Amino acid sequence: MEESKKIIEKIKKERIRQKPKWYFVVPNILIWLSFIILIFVGAAAFSIVLLSIQQTDFNLVSHMSHSKVEFFLGLLPFFWIVILLIFLGGALFTFKKSKKGYKFGWTRLLGLSTAVSILLGTMFFIGGGGHWLENTFAEQVSYYESIQQQKQKIWMKPEEGFLSGVIEKIDGDNLQLIDFNNKRWNIDYGDSFISPSVSLKKGEQVKLIGKITDVNTFQAKEMRAWGGQNRQRKWNGHEKNSSNGNSKK
Amino acid sequence: MIITEAICKQLSDKEIVKKSLVDIEYFSCMYDRYELRLLRYIKRIALVNDEQAKDILQEAFIKIWRNLNDYDQSLKLSSWIYRIVHNETISYWRKQKSFGKDRQVTLDETLFKDVSINFEMNEDNEQKERLTHEVLKLLPLKYKTVLVLKFMENMSYHEISDVLKIPEGTVATWINRAKNMFIKEASNNHISFFN
Repeated sequence: MEESKKIIEKIKKERIRQKPKWYFVVPNILIWLSFIILIFVGAAAFSIVLLSIQQTDFNLVSHMSHSKVEFFLGLLPFFWIVILLIFLGGALFTFKKSKKGYKFGWTRLLGLSTAVSILLGTMFFIGGGGHWLENTFAEQVSYYESIQQQKQKIWMKPEEGFLSGVIEKIDGDNLQLIDFNNKRWNIDYGDSFISPSVSLKKGEQVKLIGKITDVNTFQAKEMRAWGGQNRQRKWNGHEKNSSNGNSKK
Repeated sequence: MIITEAICKQLSDKEIVKKSLVDIEYFSCMYDRYELRLLRYIKRIALVNDEQAKDILQEAFIKIWRNLNDYDQSLKLSSWIYRIVHNETISYWRKQKSFGKDRQVTLDETLFKDVSINFEMNEDNEQKERLTHEVLKLLPLKYKTVLVLKFMENMSYHEISDVLKIPEGTVATWINRAKNMFIKEASNNHISFFN
């Protein structure tokens, strides 16, 4: 009992006070709040990565005649991947600083945080959050090149065989298209594959793969809806779905 | 109010914490309950004499008092106390180490001549305990610590994880490495662990 009495005497004599409860609770709340924010931002970044992947036609790489690797890398949303990694790293570090953080090894923690980010990010993406966030970002940050702008860049290279724009007029096997630079094109789509998501009507946004045959004439090999899928179908004057691509007869 | 040993004995660890937060006199129960174990632990880790160990323990208990509101009920009180005492001991040990940077721990080779010890410690055997400590001195601090906590303090992996604030998997890895290192060091000094 002697030693314990000495300590109690010392505490009393030196008036050593206990740290209040809030002294421990507040930092803990801040750590968890930071963790939640970091995970949510990471999830938001992941939803934009998903959006970007959804909007990107990776099979275009096969149409490229030169530097396919460079083109493929150019399609990846590096900005959002870096943001995702930074916030995921921040979330890991913050979690490690929490009271029970030491119980998790780095590998397990990385797996869990990634899983949570992917799950939340996918939910965010499905709910349209990714699209909304990307649009907001594009509007607010002047030097940020939006996914749509990047996509337009890729699809506004008629000399390389990629063209996009809005259908202005349809006339038999030909249609008139105004590209995103407001240039008018005559499109020969007689032998082209047409994606099932394309509605051949005035005002429809489409993207084309083909080649320039004259100054303002483009011969289309494939036609897809601007934001649509890549399944192809046969065009016979009426819509008909097919899993294989077929040309117009 | 005077808190007697009999009163302390009736209280669980968690009750002692609760009562200490209201009445400082109950804090003596905590000290008395853990004093001997902790002094032994400090001496095993830091190679200090009785007086130094008491000083370290006193400082640690002042910290425990200051941080009593931080005690997490989901932890065993012993794990939480060991954590603070361990940190205080390491801090003391590092200070001492920096004062004698050129000093090296060497083994008293005469101690090990033709002696066999069992790896599972037998506290009745002073000679074995002393020899074990001599080998432990040669191990890096983290490996020495896990061996002491596991085999001398008889803690589970879970408790060691809480004391050292490392994942249980890491505890297992360290213990495994520490055992091998211990055997190697002892073997280099002509000690056999398994009779």
